[in-house]
Amino acid sequence: MRFERAHNHTWRKIKSALAVGIAFGSALLVITPLGLVFFYLLINGAGSVNWDFFTKLPAPVGALGGGMANAIVGTLELLALAGVIGIPVGVLGGVYLAEYGSARLNSVLRFLADVLNGIPSITWGVVVYGLIVLRFKGCSAYAGGLALALIMIPLILRTTEEVILLVPNGYREAALALGVSRWKTIVHIVMKTASKGIITGILLALARVGGETAPLLFTAFGNRFWNHSLSQPIAALPLQVFTYAISPYDDWHRQAWAGALVLVTGVFCVNILVRILTRGRGASVV
Amino acid sequence: MVVPKHILGTFDDALTSLRKDLLMMAGLAERSLDRAIKGLLQRDDDLCTHAIADDEEIDQLEKQIDKDGFEILLRYQPVASDLRRVISAIKLSPNIERVGDQATNIAKRARKLNRHPPLPEVQMIVPIQAHAMSMFKDSINAFARENVELAHSVCSRDKQLDDMNRDANRKLTELMMEDREQLRGYFNLILISRALERVGDHATNIAEDAVYAAAAEDIRHKSLAASV
Amino acid sequence: METPEQTVMERLEHGSAPPPDAEVPAAHTFEVKNVSIWYGEKLAIDNVTLDVAANAVTAIIGPSGCGKSTFLRALNRMHELTPKTRMEGTVLLNGEDLYSSTVDPAIVRRRVGMVFQKSNPFPTMTIGENVVIGLRLNGVRNQRFLNERLEKSLRMAALWDEVKDDLHKPGTSLSGGQQQRLCIARALAVEPEVILMDEPCSALDPIATAKIEELIYQLKARYTIVTVTHNMQQAGRVSDYTAFFYLGRLIEYGPTTKIFTNPGEKQTEDYITGRFG
Repeated sequence: MRFERAHNHTWRKIKSALAVGIAFGSALLVITPLGLVFFYLLINGAGSVNWDFFTKLPAPVGALGGGMANAIVGTLELLALAGVIGIPVGVLGGVYLAEYGSARLNSVLRFLADVLNGIPSITWGVVVYGLIVLRFKGCSAYAGGLALALIMIPLILRTTEEVILLVPNGYREAALALGVSRWKTIVHIVMKTASKGIITGILLALARVGGETAPLLFTAFGNRFWNHSLSQPIAALPLQVFTYAISPYDDWHRQAWAGALVLVTGVFCVNILVRILTRGRGASVV
Repeated sequence: MVVPKHILGTFDDALTSLRKDLLMMAGLAERSLDRAIKGLLQRDDDLCTHAIADDEEIDQLEKQIDKDGFEILLRYQPVASDLRRVISAIKLSPNIERVGDQATNIAKRARKLNRHPPLPEVQMIVPIQAHAMSMFKDSINAFARENVELAHSVCSRDKQLDDMNRDANRKLTELMMEDREQLRGYFNLILISRALERVGDHATNIAEDAVYAAAAEDIRHKSLAASV
Repeated sequence: METPEQTVMERLEHGSAPPPDAEVPAAHTFEVKNVSIWYGEKLAIDNVTLDVAANAVTAIIGPSGCGKSTFLRALNRMHELTPKTRMEGTVLLNGEDLYSSTVDPAIVRRRVGMVFQKSNPFPTMTIGENVVIGLRLNGVRNQRFLNERLEKSLRMAALWDEVKDDLHKPGTSLSGGQQQRLCIARALAVEPEVILMDEPCSALDPIATAKIEELIYQLKARYTIVTVTHNMQQAGRVSDYTAFFYLGRLIEYGPTTKIFTNPGEKQTEDYITGRFG
């Protein structure tokens, strides 16, 4: 009796299949550009990625060979600088949001952090240009690092806050009930439990700013040679790619492709590292 | 007395059925005792046979009450008044069963007496029977209505019954010595009187359990406990 | 002269005497006087006065939301972690005021340990680390001392034999019941005077529950234990005294046997016999 409306069932099955199909198509649409970009970069850039690319300075126009060693090292230096400034501020801010402060203040801070996350990155370049570059009369690695740090801070702040909020309250209570002080509980219990999540947030933020070009245009400025002082302009991989890509020279175009390929691979590797980290042992909750 | 109701309806049902069985058992014991005495006074063997037949059912109910009581303890783990009611039911039923046994005992002796010419001394049993019966009825009422005062009154009436029994014994023993012909008959009357005295003892036990069920107070062996 | 009872006991080779009647408490660990607690505007505990007997198990029973957990937490100031709480009244721990302005809540909690409903060993730590973390974070560095305390605590929590070869394994690798005993060991390691338990068995199977109950009985010799439970049979099994809370008020408090055979208040009777609602 209850099974007699079979045609209804068939129609439901068709609808279900349709919905699954559309969802699958959308997912494919998301993945396709990534595949295309990577494929295109491989075709155009792989030929120029060689030993020289990682070890040599850029060659002058017309000269064959040359590499982007200074830009690769420069990007790493900039990331280190940005990390030194951005990680402590971001992590501690996230801890404050999750563990301290009043509900009203926290929602304001959270909103501001989300607004900051949405600000175009070139704005940060302009801000640092105005604050640092003009005052100290020159572009520098410090200025570039600061611009990247400013982008990182709201990112790390929000991810840190979220993973710390994910730590079950039971652990805080257990530690406090042992007579452990509040800040020791936060550092040794809560942050330790959330450490994988925090590190993941930091890595993703580094990957994000590692590919930034715009904030570096008038802060780090770029450098055709090795940087010998952090108060001098410094090369960065995305900046170099940008400069080469808009140049009229075929050699430089090829180098730009190679640079882009290295950059994308780097970001890709960081993401894989994050995946490995977050999978890890089941011991940690977040 | 199962108001207000438990959240668990089956628990209520089990307690109600236990109580119903217990009251049924008490009613049968009452009827059996009544029939046995009537059988004696009216020299009616049929009533005696009925009295004896009732005992069978009383025995079955005793087993049923034990079984249901254990099941309630096992399933619902009653506490407080529920626990006391179940425990009292389990303790009460053997006493009622013994009252039934005494009724059978009386009925059997009545049948023996009925085979011989009537003895006028049978009338000596009437007040003893009335007293024992009222004690038994009141003890059951006290339990069913959780009436502590009534229960206490049952206990205090036991002494009087003992005295009545002793008096009857003395008189009947004297008669036995005077009239050797009726020795058997008087002997049976002595034993019937004694059976009624035992009914009073069981009623006292029931009343004591009734007090425990109603007020969680153990009134047994009071004088002994006080002297320790 | 031997009493007949002793003669029989000896004949049965049964050493222990039956527990003495818990009628008159020898000493009080907590003296709670006129305590009221508010969460914001809501009155959670309404003028409760109660003395907790030393070296005994006191069970707190009552329907959900009756304030029994709040009351328990007021005994080691854990309720203060909830924002916007307000409290009136005094709580004395062995004569000392827990809420005196000079008292650090952390010190209170070191003296009054707590075990929670959900076992919560720290997931980033091994079994061994979990036990001694309280001492470590309170500044104890001496490794030999820590090792001694580790074994002692696990033995008291009846867990040593089960985990002595696995001390380096994560605390979360244990079964639910073992995790709860690990949490008890962790609480014992800081040598508290009292152990509060907030429904310690509600997530455990009957065997694990029985082990915790046995443990509670063992610990009673050295500690005062206050436990909140939803399980009336459990309260009946483990506790010497029972307090019944309803709507934030202490309705009745007395020896467990008395509460469970002849409660003095109708509300208690209705609750324990399952006539609520």
